[in-house]
Amino acid sequence: MSTNKKVNVIACSGMGKVYGLMAREAVLHTVQRLCPEQAKTLCLAYIVTGDEEALAGFDNQPCITVDGCPAMCSAKSVAAMGGDIKEELKVLDVMKLHKGAKPGTATELTPEGWAITEEIAAKIAERVQEIQKEER
Amino acid sequence: MAEELKIGVVSCSGEDCAGGTISRLATRKMIDEIRPDNTVTICLPLFIAGGQEERMFAKEYPTIAVDGCKQACAKRATEKYSGKVNSVVFVSEIIGDEFAESPALSTRDLTTEHQAMVDKVAAEITKQFDEIMNAKGKDSGARKSSSCSCGCDC
Repeated sequence: MSTNKKVNVIACSGMGKVYGLMAREAVLHTVQRLCPEQAKTLCLAYIVTGDEEALAGFDNQPCITVDGCPAMCSAKSVAAMGGDIKEELKVLDVMKLHKGAKPGTATELTPEGWAITEEIAAKIAERVQEIQKEER
Repeated sequence: MAEELKIGVVSCSGEDCAGGTISRLATRKMIDEIRPDNTVTICLPLFIAGGQEERMFAKEYPTIAVDGCKQACAKRATEKYSGKVNSVVFVSEIIGDEFAESPALSTRDLTTEHQAMVDKVAAEITKQFDEIMNAKGKDSGARKSSSCSCGCDC
């Protein structure tokens, strides 16, 4: 088990596009299944409020942002609120490797969408491990 | 022809609690199934990441905030960056605090019980949606009937 504090992995809200849902599901998969001892998520909407208590959730720990669209809401909001971003992951970068894929809708993923989402989660988990090593 | 009235439904991000998952899905249900022609939404963090156009959202559309937990981020962030919301749906008041504040759910793990919660929350959003729609319709009708041909409100 890691003795380091957990890396913050923060997805965009992703209400309007399938790529946003993929960002959210990839983050949940990472923090709940792949590396629950090394990573945690924070609610971006709470960060956006700017509440002191919300920003305390950064816990002086590095952040990975995961964005579904070029608006880069997670990266921009976390940066605006003072989070220490070590990696900005973009779902669209992974989608470029899957041209023609049909991942589903903003409400529901297809089996293909889930497979790509797990691939994104694996990338996030890999960065979590690397960042934890760098922080030691 | 009069432009069709659109109502904004803004969900919290809901990444950290089950109430947020329900909030998001109920909002999606409004967009996909219940009032697809009259519902618009926005990703909440776009108030920061976007531009002036995004920050005009709550001024441009009557807006319902849908909040998954007691932090009421959708309401507070909308009012901080955009404008006053017309109403708020507190998901935890519908599905209970205990479940609402339990860990976030993946859509892969949804059960029929969770789906029933989504339906209940969507029903409450619909109720508030229709109240706003009716009030705006009457308001618009009243303004039309009191307008004179000179274009003023006399």
